[in-house]
Amino acid sequence: MSNQSKEYGYSVKLGAFILVGLAILFAAIFFVGQARQLFSKTFSISAVFKDVNGLQAGNNVRFGGMHIGAISSIEMLTDTSILVSMDIESSSQQFISKDAKATIGSDGLMGNKLLIISPGKGTQGPIADKDQIASVQAISMDDIMEKLYVTTENANLITTDLATISGSIRSGNGTIGKLFMDKDFAENLDKTLINVKKGSKGFSENMEAAKKSFFLKGAFKKDKDKK
Amino acid sequence: MKSIVDTFFNFLLNQLYRIGQFGLFLQHSFSSLFSTQSEWKETAKQCYLIGYKTLPLVGITGFIMGLVLTIQTRPTLSDFGAESWLPAMVSVSIVREIGPVITALICAGKVGSGIGAELGSMNVTEQIDAMEVSGTNPFNYLVVTRILACAFMLPLLTIYNDIISMLGSFMGVNIMGEVSIRLFFASALSEISFLDIFSSLIKTFFFGLAIGIISTYQGYYAQKGTVGVGAAANASVVISSLLIFILDMVAVQISSLFS
Repeated sequence: MSNQSKEYGYSVKLGAFILVGLAILFAAIFFVGQARQLFSKTFSISAVFKDVNGLQAGNNVRFGGMHIGAISSIEMLTDTSILVSMDIESSSQQFISKDAKATIGSDGLMGNKLLIISPGKGTQGPIADKDQIASVQAISMDDIMEKLYVTTENANLITTDLATISGSIRSGNGTIGKLFMDKDFAENLDKTLINVKKGSKGFSENMEAAKKSFFLKGAFKKDKDKK
Repeated sequence: MKSIVDTFFNFLLNQLYRIGQFGLFLQHSFSSLFSTQSEWKETAKQCYLIGYKTLPLVGITGFIMGLVLTIQTRPTLSDFGAESWLPAMVSVSIVREIGPVITALICAGKVGSGIGAELGSMNVTEQIDAMEVSGTNPFNYLVVTRILACAFMLPLLTIYNDIISMLGSFMGVNIMGEVSIRLFFASALSEISFLDIFSSLIKTFFFGLAIGIISTYQGYYAQKGTVGVGAAANASVVISSLLIFILDMVAVQISSLFS
């Protein structure tokens, strides 16, 4: 192989190597940009929250479970209101109504925070650029912990009461305590049950005799025929 | 006692001389980088040798790294029920750190030692002096071309390494589970930002520059004799590798300022 054709060969290979490498780079830039809506047309909306629960600029916005945008900025308006602005894909604009509501959620148990837009009743028409939608304060972990604390306190009180009641029963106080713990009561109950047994046996014998009696025989027969 | 002091002073003077020599070499390199007398043909040849010829090695290493990283990370993530994070987590590690550093280390080993040994043997056999006599500027022809080739090819090799590592990771994900390539790349790219891509490319440019400068310096000023050639090749790899980690640490600090 001559020197010139060898040089031509490696130049072609080098050119292909550089071109493919650059193509991969541009494809990566394009797809990363697309994932962040850098190349798609967007419009801006906002919502005011009392507590953003750690939401950050760049977090995703979802509507009906679909990724439709990203948080563009978060700024404090007053000590109890925080303005969250977001960029939403223009293709979703027609589906989001003016009465849609924004909530802060998270992607899985440990995932990033995200803003979820719930659809409204759709009576007020689609949302416009720079509109502000209502927000629903999400339950934070602190709220859950506070409720869990109250529940635990209540459970504690209930178990204390149950312990007192079982103590009373054990010592034979009250009706249930007597029922379980009093020996005389148990003996009386036993005797009563024996008497009831005896009484029901006597009653059964009387009924058998009545069936055979001349005066009542007809009445029993009528009843049998009806059946 | 006198001989110990003499040896110490000789060593100190030698080190000071090497530092000064390296400073002059750096100054000469940077001034030549922007000169119009650059040897573009030789630069292209070096790009071919450094970039294209290293691609198979970088590709195989990258594929294995992606596969292994995914298989090793899976048990920890599955303990938390977060296996769906695997593509994003592995690709962020690859793009930010593993891709650039592994590519640079492979190049330091393969390219750095090659340049050190090549220039070292040329120096030992006085070919560099001969070039000077024949009217060719050996510095432009041998040093600048290799530094430029290293600096330009490293980012390109890193791009290849990243994409091949991700394919390895895709295979790793699909060994135990089933994820489509579309879903894999969608979740992988969702966590990668422009800062990750550009900081990775910029730092690999500097890694390449470091490998080029160190290995050409070691080769260009190699000690006479065959031992000198071996020492130059060895020093090229060792110093370049160390410098890659130092530069990486600095790059992480700088990129964290922007994130």
